[in-house]
Amino acid sequence: MIQLNNVTKNFAGKQAVKGLNLTIPDGKIFGFLGPNGAGKSTTIKMMTGILPIDEGSITLNGMDISKQPMDVKRVIGYVPDRSDIFLRLKGIEYLNFMADVFNIPSDVREEKITYLTKSFGIYDALGDHIQTYSHGMKQKIVVSGVLLHDPDIWILDEPLTGLDPKSSFTLKEMMREHANKGKIVFFSTHVLEVVEQLCDEVAIINNGQVQFQGAMSEMRQQFKEDDNLERLFLELTQNE
Amino acid sequence: MSKTWTLMKIMAKMQLSLAGKSTSEKVGYVLLTLVMLPFGALILSLLNNLISTLYDVLSPTGNENIILGLVFVSVTFLFIFLSISTVLSSFYFAEDVESFISLPFQPYQILMGKSTVPFLSLYGTNAMLLLPVLLFYGLHSEAGAAYYGLAFMIWLLTPVIPFVITAIIVMFIMRFANISKNKDRTKIVVGLLGFAFAIGINVIIRLDSGGNAGEDMAALFMQQNGLLELITKFFPVAYFSSIALTTASTGTAALYFLLVAGLSAGAIVLFMTIGQATYFKGVLGLSGGKRSTFNDKTLDENVKETPLLWSLVLKEVRTIMRTPTFFTQIVVQSLFFPIFLVIILFMESSGSLDQISAMLGSWDGKIVLLALFGLTIVGLGINPASFSSVSRDGKSWFNYLYLPIPARTVIGSKLLIAFALNLVSLLILALVAVFLIGIPVWPLVNWLFLSIIAAWVTSVGGLLIDLYQPKLNWTDEREVFKGRFAGLVVFAIEAVIFGGAIGILWNMSSVEGVWITSLILFTLLIVLTAGCHFGLKKLVDQKYDKIL
Ligand SMILES: Nc1ncnc2c1ncn2[C@@H]1O[C@H](COP(=O)(O)OP(=O)(O)OP(=O)(O)O)[C@@H](O)[C@H]1O
Ligand SMILES: [Mg+2]
Repeated sequence: MIQLNNVTKNFAGKQAVKGLNLTIPDGKIFGFLGPNGAGKSTTIKMMTGILPIDEGSITLNGMDISKQPMDVKRVIGYVPDRSDIFLRLKGIEYLNFMADVFNIPSDVREEKITYLTKSFGIYDALGDHIQTYSHGMKQKIVVSGVLLHDPDIWILDEPLTGLDPKSSFTLKEMMREHANKGKIVFFSTHVLEVVEQLCDEVAIINNGQVQFQGAMSEMRQQFKEDDNLERLFLELTQNE
Repeated sequence: MSKTWTLMKIMAKMQLSLAGKSTSEKVGYVLLTLVMLPFGALILSLLNNLISTLYDVLSPTGNENIILGLVFVSVTFLFIFLSISTVLSSFYFAEDVESFISLPFQPYQILMGKSTVPFLSLYGTNAMLLLPVLLFYGLHSEAGAAYYGLAFMIWLLTPVIPFVITAIIVMFIMRFANISKNKDRTKIVVGLLGFAFAIGINVIIRLDSGGNAGEDMAALFMQQNGLLELITKFFPVAYFSSIALTTASTGTAALYFLLVAGLSAGAIVLFMTIGQATYFKGVLGLSGGKRSTFNDKTLDENVKETPLLWSLVLKEVRTIMRTPTFFTQIVVQSLFFPIFLVIILFMESSGSLDQISAMLGSWDGKIVLLALFGLTIVGLGINPASFSSVSRDGKSWFNYLYLPIPARTVIGSKLLIAFALNLVSLLILALVAVFLIGIPVWPLVNWLFLSIIAAWVTSVGGLLIDLYQPKLNWTDEREVFKGRFAGLVVFAIEAVIFGGAIGILWNMSSVEGVWITSLILFTLLIVLTAGCHFGLKKLVDQKYDKIL
């Protein structure tokens, strides 16, 4: 379970996140929606320990990210929105590094690396430097690295941008599988079809505040008059 | 021509501009200059004494122009050496090459633009070394106005030929190196070749002069210009310059000066011609890497469990070795001083090496130790690996923050890299000390022990400064080193602390012998180490996860 209590984040002269409250239950795929600049990435960065939290608190599996950062980081797997990872490493070196970070025994890591990279079709490129990868390939190697330790909480920031239809399908399958194991899959996106098709629960944020949180069915019910999700989204996030 | 001029101005502006530097940084530069002034004065007065002594010894046989010859040869060497890495990074490694290539410029025009900053930067060294020597020489030889006029023009011309020759050689090597598949590795190999080349020339020269120098020395002394000819054998321009200056205000001087000027102009034309033909062939397709085949066997070989600290160290090493800019700036630069020392010592004939060791033998152990230690601090002082520790990661720094890696493990891996590079430098210095000079054993052991601690402290110090104000938002790796204050700050602090300590110990007659001196330096080092570690711990607690 992830809990955000009154989380606030200020950047020089700008409040990116304002008193955000969210509860994310286990075993669900949770979609985090919002227009550009709404504060999605900022929230995710606070959840993963990249940005310090100005006010409020975030607990993941009952552990406070500010108080027990190491314990939290061991159970999460984070896929950043930009793939500025260690570009000078070869694909295989990166995966091996990630496996060292998460203390994965060598027989398991070999099997997992093979399985994941073959599913994504990047196995043959593992001997090349990540720098020479295309955007989508970088994304896939990061996802593979994160899944090596089978994280209890899988957090993805706009994971589907730049993926071809086949890889996109594979990734969505993996997210479903992961949630079915009783784990949390939390991801941000703008793509409404994905939300509709994939998510169990959603939260929509705008200007750093939650506009709506609940199950997909609830959302539809609450806004019966809106016949499609796009209109609903536009309505919720319009800036008056 | 006007296009070339525009390019030169733009490139110089881009690389030298102070815009974007905070005011604190600008103030820092001013302060640093003020701190360095007394050191400069000290060095100048030493230089003056040296020239005056040499002049008095050499002038009776009419061989005083060897002072000029020596200086010209040394600065030529230094310029070649300095140009190798600046030319490589400016001509080939800088990513902006590609954006200029797509514009309608001739290769030679881009080359002139790219040469501006590396060439002008030679004048810094030129002003600090050649200018004062020429000035002092003029004073001692009671030269007239003609000398000073000529000296100034020759001073202006001196960097031209070494720079151009280096650039031509680098272009030739890159032209052919570019055929291979793995570009990044090629860049690194070429960089190394350049240095091997510089060292090779030295060995050849030494072999050549080693044979007959001893016996003919006396004869050469008798003969005017004899020594000069020997010293400048491979450097005709140095010979011409020296003769022009010693015969200033005669027709001979004019002739030789015209020769120097003509050769410099010819070199530039040659450079532009060769550049026009070869530069683009070396640059095009520089970025990019090879495709390899991957199979289960390679997977097996690559997948192994490693302790996290070691895994991080490996990652650092790979990043440094595979990034051409990091490689030249970190590995090559930190080995620059020890290797340079080896070259200088190799250049000396074996006779003078014996003299050095005899001289050291007659010195007090304390003085030997202090001299060695001072030299080491200069060598270790600027350790680019340490003050680029955090900044090197650039935009990928945030990866450390969401991964469960303790801050001290990350910092530790970075410290180990900086320390290891220092150790390699130390090792080279130690080998020189033992095999070439034959330093007495106890000063040597003490020196080594102290230096290892110093290597650690300087690594921690550099890291501390970098963590305090890291530069993560770079788009080109050179920004990590260029125009950054960190390296200079570390060096200035070390100069004050260690320079002060060495100066005091040197002059304190109550401190005698190797052991007492070591003990005092050891205590100082331990206090510094403790201080730095305390500072580092504080800073890591405060800053590590808030850098972004
Ligand atoms: N480092 C920073 N410094 C200053 N302001 C920032 C910083 N990072 C984000 N912001 C601001 O915070 C706000 C939220 O940004 P955030 O990246 O969280 O948006 P987002 O919802 O992820 O948008 P997108 O859909 O475009 O990814 C924006 O207004 C942005 O300008
Ligand atoms: Mg975002």
